[in-house]
Amino acid sequence: MYQYDVIDREFLTDRSNEFRHQVARRLAGDLTEDQFKPLRLMNGLYLQLHAYMLRVAIPYGSLNARQARRLAWIARTYDKGYGHMTTRQNVQFNWIKLKDAPDILDALAEVDLHAIQTSGNCIRNTTADPYAGATAEEIDDPRVWSEVIRQWSTLHPEFSYLPRKFKIAITGALTDRAAVKVHDIGLILRRARDGSLGFEVIVGGGQGRTPYVGPTIKQHLPASSLLSYLEAVLRVYNRHGRRDNIYKARIKILVAALGAEEFGRQVEEEWAKIDQGRADLGDLELARIRGAFAQTPFETLPARSEAFEAAKAASPSLARFARNNVKPHKKPGYAIVEVSLKAIGQTPGDATADQLDVVADLAERYGLDDLRVTHAQNLVLPHIKLDDLPAVHAILEANGLATANIDLVSDIIACPGLDYCALANARAIPIAQDIAKTFADPDRAETIGELKIKISGCINACGHHHVAHIGILGVDKKGEEFYQLSLGGSGAEDATIGKILGPALPADKVAPAIDTLVDTYLAARQGEERFLDTYRRVGLEPFKEAVYAQAD
Amino acid sequence: MPKLIKLIDGATQFAENTFVNVADEDAIPDVGDVILSLTRFQAEGDALLSSNSRRVGVRIEPAEEVEALAYDLPRLSVVALAFPKYRDGRAYTSARLLRERFKYQGEIRAVGDVLQEQAGFMVRVGFDAFEPNDGATPEAWAKAANRFRHVYQRAVDARPIAADERAQQKEGAL
Amino acid sequence: MKAVTANRLIDGEVVFWKEGAWVDGFGDAQLFDDAQGEEVEAAVAAGKAAPTVIVDPYPIDLITVEGLGLAPVSYRERIRALGPTNELLHGKQAEGGAVVEAIRHASGAARSTGRVDLIRRK
Repeated sequence: MYQYDVIDREFLTDRSNEFRHQVARRLAGDLTEDQFKPLRLMNGLYLQLHAYMLRVAIPYGSLNARQARRLAWIARTYDKGYGHMTTRQNVQFNWIKLKDAPDILDALAEVDLHAIQTSGNCIRNTTADPYAGATAEEIDDPRVWSEVIRQWSTLHPEFSYLPRKFKIAITGALTDRAAVKVHDIGLILRRARDGSLGFEVIVGGGQGRTPYVGPTIKQHLPASSLLSYLEAVLRVYNRHGRRDNIYKARIKILVAALGAEEFGRQVEEEWAKIDQGRADLGDLELARIRGAFAQTPFETLPARSEAFEAAKAASPSLARFARNNVKPHKKPGYAIVEVSLKAIGQTPGDATADQLDVVADLAERYGLDDLRVTHAQNLVLPHIKLDDLPAVHAILEANGLATANIDLVSDIIACPGLDYCALANARAIPIAQDIAKTFADPDRAETIGELKIKISGCINACGHHHVAHIGILGVDKKGEEFYQLSLGGSGAEDATIGKILGPALPADKVAPAIDTLVDTYLAARQGEERFLDTYRRVGLEPFKEAVYAQAD
Repeated sequence: MPKLIKLIDGATQFAENTFVNVADEDAIPDVGDVILSLTRFQAEGDALLSSNSRRVGVRIEPAEEVEALAYDLPRLSVVALAFPKYRDGRAYTSARLLRERFKYQGEIRAVGDVLQEQAGFMVRVGFDAFEPNDGATPEAWAKAANRFRHVYQRAVDARPIAADERAQQKEGAL
Repeated sequence: MKAVTANRLIDGEVVFWKEGAWVDGFGDAQLFDDAQGEEVEAAVAAGKAAPTVIVDPYPIDLITVEGLGLAPVSYRERIRALGPTNELLHGKQAEGGAVVEAIRHASGAARSTGRVDLIRRK
């Protein structure tokens, strides 16, 4: 893993001191709330319904045990004993006091963590495939490039006051676990025919009020030219993105207004004027960053673990866990282990301080000190030996962390919604809890197969409802919480925006409606079809009829 | 009227503002240095510059592109980049282009909603004069501008970026 | 009926206006009837005049919960006065008592989604 050096650490110290100074000026009345708000936001601090919320960046979703333990300590010391994983691989604390925030940033900086640019109209924390460095399908390690972007975008003097927030996601694998096509910039690592490494550059995807699957504006950007090209994209956006209307200020609106071709042309024109030798990172620094990620000390192991096979045969719960939460690793004898934060009835994405400590211990003892946060609000132990799986599973199970439901119907993404968020129109968490309870039977969940349900409490779509197989959007209908369902979205490599099913439903009708949708799918399913496949084959109508016939 | 702070040879200090900022509806004074809007400059700037020895500057609003000044830059003493709201970040690009692409040597002045929070960014993209409206002193401005010991990306200033520092450390170690 | 609410700057806590001061509990909030519009405005103005203490003061509408007391009309405000509905021991609701029960009853018990017909927002 990448290790911060004295430069990175001094930078975090300086940042923390700056924020301490700003908080002092705010409390003394030298800064108004209007002046202070963008400053605290650029340090991840929101004022929510009950308290301040601090969003801590987990760069490319990667943590070591020491960092996870520090998050647990912050949860215990300054919060109510838990943290919430977000759809952008960050961690949020819901009960923070402004007066504690500078101390918390200091505590984070001690373990090379920070909250820089986790909000505000700047380049946000870059997200990446949570299986990076572990999956066999990887063309190149996206963490290398995420770290390059982390450094380049940190306090960028030209691009810190953009028209609107700016999110970049990277994948190095063909299976997209980072939702790259619905980001402001999505980067897919590819090799050209001649073997050279490059990026497919997708610009102007996004969710929110106006969802778009982003168009590709460059098929093969030479990897070493990444920063100069990003500079060109950001400059065109900074100059020409709309600033008159917050709802039209994202780059997706500019790209859609100009057309992808014209936008791409403007970027090329700007790129040609940039001194690329100066803008791009030198080979030496690239090699240094790459080296930091390349040094994972894997052992040479047989591909099959007799101990694991025997334990699996003896334990139905381990076998179920293995079917759903254990994914193939690039190294023989290793596996990628998903740790579900979606126990039935639990708040999706919440981990208690104790659970964070448990997972940190597992990472340290069995997992090469590596831990990931996924955009689906789960955790990943990316490098577990097959031989160790029974022990890891037993510890997870003892701590409520072994729910075997990854990508199944109860693995629901939900934003904090109206229970916490000042922007929300409706609650998301109780809806997720209702649905999960409806599908609590794990056999039934496995029979249903992959089904991604995602819930947002408002149109900003932090819960990714547009790209869900079944999306749920909370709306305010004459002061009541209502929920609009949409079907057929995908945030993966086959990215699609879902279609609205029909009129919004009251809260208590949502879980029954999902049940009906699932029954309709199971009745129409052919072979091993996923819900999404069946939907794509039969269309919206049968689902619509089933839900609204029953509602009448 | 905000006081003018200038960055001269790496030091910030209060400076006398000899320029009169001429609003579009006002008459241009008979003598003295003036800053005009882009529209006004395009209409009357040429005559002013050739008729007497006074210095002329241009005020650029965020939506206006500095490319419009390309041919006039050698004659301009000041380009004042306006921040109607401090969250409007277009002037950072404008300043950078003036320095990097057009090699403009004159003063680039930040006017409008200018706060010490922006000092570091402004200095890095080539601003060298500031009219802070938060009452910042040159000392406060300098402190804010130099708060970070390291930077991660190349800009207009010649500061070594983190990668340069690391390369030097490595060389030193060999 | 109305009350005036805000968040406290230093910790973000939800607070309510009570005769010249800001208090934590909804049950302690000063109540204004419809004829007291000027007093409501004065309370909001007092909050705005104390920007180092209070962020964003505003009035909220209240309703009577039969036999139990008062509750904010809007669901958002009920959640602010109680705490999150997914963690019933977090926030102001942890204290329990008649005031909390009244608000919960107004929303049909905070965890239930069965009484949305009562959910009304400002």
